[in-house]
Amino acid sequence: MSMVYDEYGRPFIILKEQQAKARVKGLEAQKSNILAAKSVSSVLRTSLGPKGMDKMLVDPDGDVTITNDGATILERMEVQHQVAKLLVELSQSQDNEIGDGTTGVVVLAGALLAQAEKLLDRGIHPVRVAEGYEAACKVALDTLSQIGDTVEFTKDNTEPLVTTAETTLNSKIINVNRRKMAEIAVNAVLSVADLERKDVNFDMIKMEGKPGGRLEDTELVQGIVLDKEMSHPQMAKTVKDVKCALLTCPFEPPKPKTKHKLDITSKDAYDKLYEHEQAYFTKMIQQVKDSGANLVICQWGFDDEANHLLLQNKLPAIRWVGGVELELIALATGARIIPRFSELSADKLGTCGQVREIAFGTTKEKMVVIEDCKNSSAVTCVVRGGNKMIVDEAKRSLHDAMCVVRNLVKDNRVVYGGGSAEIACSMAVSKHADSVMGTDQYAIRAFADALDDIPLALAENCGLSPIEELANVKSKQLAENNPFLGVDCNQSGTNNMKDQGVFETLIGKQQQLLLATQVVKMVLKIDDVISMGNYQ
Amino acid sequence: MGPSMGRPGIILLREGTDTSQGKPQLISNINACQAVAEAVKTTLGPRGMDKLVFDGRKVTISNDGATIMALLEIAHPAAKTLVDISMSQDAEVGDGTTSVVLLAAEMLKQVKEFVEAGVHPQVLIRYMRQSAKLAVETVKKLAVPFEGEKGKEMLLKCAGTALNSKLISSHQDLFAPMVVEAVSGLKSDLSDLNLIAVKKVPGGEVRSSFLVKGVAFKKTFSYAGHEQMTKKFINPKILLLNVELELKSEKENAEVRITDPDQYQSIVDAEWNVIYEKLDKCVDCGANIVLSKLPIGDLATQYFADKGLFCAGRVDVGDMVRVGKATGAVIQTSTNGINAEVIGNCGMFEEKQIGDERFNLFTECVSKETATIVLRGGSEQFIEESHRSMHDAIMVVKRSLKSQAIVAGGGAVEMEVAKVLREESLKIEGKGQLVMQSFARALEIVPRQLADNAGYDATDILNALRKKHFHEQEGGKWFGVNIAEGGICDTYESGVWEPSINKINSLAAAGEAACVILSIDETVRNPKSEQPGAQPQAQQGRQGGGGMSGMMGNAMDIANNGARRGKLGHGVNYMKGRGGG
Repeated sequence: MSMVYDEYGRPFIILKEQQAKARVKGLEAQKSNILAAKSVSSVLRTSLGPKGMDKMLVDPDGDVTITNDGATILERMEVQHQVAKLLVELSQSQDNEIGDGTTGVVVLAGALLAQAEKLLDRGIHPVRVAEGYEAACKVALDTLSQIGDTVEFTKDNTEPLVTTAETTLNSKIINVNRRKMAEIAVNAVLSVADLERKDVNFDMIKMEGKPGGRLEDTELVQGIVLDKEMSHPQMAKTVKDVKCALLTCPFEPPKPKTKHKLDITSKDAYDKLYEHEQAYFTKMIQQVKDSGANLVICQWGFDDEANHLLLQNKLPAIRWVGGVELELIALATGARIIPRFSELSADKLGTCGQVREIAFGTTKEKMVVIEDCKNSSAVTCVVRGGNKMIVDEAKRSLHDAMCVVRNLVKDNRVVYGGGSAEIACSMAVSKHADSVMGTDQYAIRAFADALDDIPLALAENCGLSPIEELANVKSKQLAENNPFLGVDCNQSGTNNMKDQGVFETLIGKQQQLLLATQVVKMVLKIDDVISMGNYQ
Repeated sequence: MGPSMGRPGIILLREGTDTSQGKPQLISNINACQAVAEAVKTTLGPRGMDKLVFDGRKVTISNDGATIMALLEIAHPAAKTLVDISMSQDAEVGDGTTSVVLLAAEMLKQVKEFVEAGVHPQVLIRYMRQSAKLAVETVKKLAVPFEGEKGKEMLLKCAGTALNSKLISSHQDLFAPMVVEAVSGLKSDLSDLNLIAVKKVPGGEVRSSFLVKGVAFKKTFSYAGHEQMTKKFINPKILLLNVELELKSEKENAEVRITDPDQYQSIVDAEWNVIYEKLDKCVDCGANIVLSKLPIGDLATQYFADKGLFCAGRVDVGDMVRVGKATGAVIQTSTNGINAEVIGNCGMFEEKQIGDERFNLFTECVSKETATIVLRGGSEQFIEESHRSMHDAIMVVKRSLKSQAIVAGGGAVEMEVAKVLREESLKIEGKGQLVMQSFARALEIVPRQLADNAGYDATDILNALRKKHFHEQEGGKWFGVNIAEGGICDTYESGVWEPSINKINSLAAAGEAACVILSIDETVRNPKSEQPGAQPQAQQGRQGGGGMSGMMGNAMDIANNGARRGKLGHGVNYMKGRGGG
């Protein structure tokens, strides 16, 4: 910030470290913020839609991520600029709440800001622009609920859900196998969903990825998969009619938590100590045996001594199982977690149909699958793929698809994709604009133009001529009065998205509009940027 | 500070000390205040803009005057006064933090010409005080008291006005009732604002924010076994603890010595017994829910899960206190001697999913005093700003409830007070007349800035307002700036209301601050000690400065240490300092 001089030519310092502070004010500040936000959205623009491209991100450690998921790209980009960060959070918030449409929301916000910039140049007050946007947003939301369709599905007829999930997967790298992936996602969600309460607990769905194998080998396990193996290679690989004991104590003599010291003064005492230790081991094993358990799952490790004893007593065991997994197993098998051996009893054991260890290909990697649980709701997706990057991306894509299915379970209204909903909203908004008096009219119209940006970007990414395509679809929508017409990204010959089966959830779309408008308002309202050091 | 007229000068201050005095100093202070006001003035009113302040680590986007003033890190000593009044306004009323700064700066600006013309500051101060007093009295007279039935509606409008300039202004219909409901639950003394908690859950849409009549807090860190607990209770009994329920050593520095391996097991058992005894006591007292400020370990979690209880450890102190207030439970520091009196209860407890987080909700509590507002929003910054706005609104509603009187906003009350002051001023003889008139003009900054920020022609609007207020005495008293459409309107009719205490406080504070700044005629600023610790005393001597007493001490020290001769360069300096300074 520059110095301020008084009438007598003396400089005076008003702010601490005034010289080091940079300040941008007024229109200049708005412009620079808009520019920053626009550059973020232009990064994502090419990722939109079924023909959207992926981004490769290399983090400081050299780890590579290849993804098409808006939220992930922005998160890994480590954006520095403060206003640009708002867009990152915007995308994350869409991700947390809806799980899909993370790219669209940022592209929309970018478009809204680009339109706002034009209005600012004309001298319209930024807050008026923001208020106009809010009014327009309301109109668009109403339009969305009008053109929204409901999908009916039951536990037996999951077809509509699968189609919607497929739409989500369209833009992802795994779209070759989208049918299979979509089915996995739908089955996973439905097996944990409570259709009555319309509640889906995602904690019950676990994702495990193993590089190797083909994408087609991805499967859904009705049960829990642990990335662990039996503690001893010679233990039984498969256990049927399992009664498992979940332990949070290690297989070793108990240690008091208080600092202690054992004074051994004689050989006798030493022998006695040894005996005691041995006795502990045998007693522990005996206690497990007595309780009737035929599988031990332990949160901690156990040393060779215990491992050997377990093997001798034909007690298969899994060690180093994390707390979260232990909890999941407890829930699925109806077991109680046991803090010490003396509390073992038959009623605290969990039961399940089968536990087996599976090996993957020629590698030594193994996993333990716990199946046919009493409380069958927990499921695990085992994702396979050519390399780690594909597996990670597949996991993210599956997660997106599951989120969409969850949203449908919560609220079964959908709108059609391919930009059709945006075009319909845009037309409704610009129609509304004509009926509004004053400056707001301009802002509302700008909102309509910004909505057009989504189908434009879609067409652009598919290699179509964007303006031509948009104009065609728009005039068709108007002529046929059919809000289901959108950009034909897959060149399947029809613009009717209903026929193509491209669905998006209504709440997802609504959330996109609301969030984008909110953030745009926030950016527009800033007219003064004061910062220490470099702000750019 | 140089030798003049051959006489040795008297050195009073350290070299490098910045002193300035008299009129230039006063003017310079006024200018500094104006520069500060300049920085915040665009945030005023419904069309006010936000500031983004980045302090090198954290970004704040805010519209709240006090927040911005604090973040600016103002160093100028006189301008700091403005920060103080903004803060005090925030603490006292919660809203109007921008306008108080604007008013003070404008008052100074208006009297600057008198200072330049040579009017003694004390004269200015006397009449400024008088004007401020009169202004406060006028506001008190103007204030419209609450009428029983309409009380709630008035509160709603006050909350709405406070939210007007904020980011969430378009969601007033949602937030204003929320705030009013939360505040009206408080007991009559309204003392403890901590009873209204604001929880922030990033993500989601701002309109999915909601009010919980009771206590809500985020699920704390939990251990394995937590999911097996009962997550819903009707009429649960609640036990609040400040005890760590974990298997651990009783004392950090204790050591057990065991000589016989046979005793080993007994030590282990003893430890387990200690924790089990505690757990048993919690269960035996009949509680369904156990909350602790300190961690509740996995062992305890699983134990409680087995017995069908719910527990949460590491609960925030504020939340504990609120749960205590709401349910009537008393926080226990030991598990011994728990009786029925210290156990609280509420109508309903539930663990619920909110956005991405799980929340523990206590509702239908015995005491209706506590409320929790859960804010949602697209980004962290958005929620932060919403939180600040909610705080303002809560404070305003609380204040309105207390003062039971309101005035119309939108610059209306300022215009009316200005009119009264102008009329009064004519009754004063001498300079006071001018001072009071300029005070009146200073008040007009509020409507002027409101119009400016909204992009309207401020002069036109002011002229129209002045005319309205002057000609239609009673009928025109509530006319202010019409932000929505330009021009002027009756803001009392359109529901732009503020608690009268807000205006009273800001007028009094601004007047007082202006007087303080006017009364300063000299600033003495000591130079920063550049090399802390490095021969501080010798250095002082060298520079020929320091306080009088310090100088004596230094001289003695230096003489004793022989530093004078030891370091020639310094010695020279030293001599120069003594002789010539």
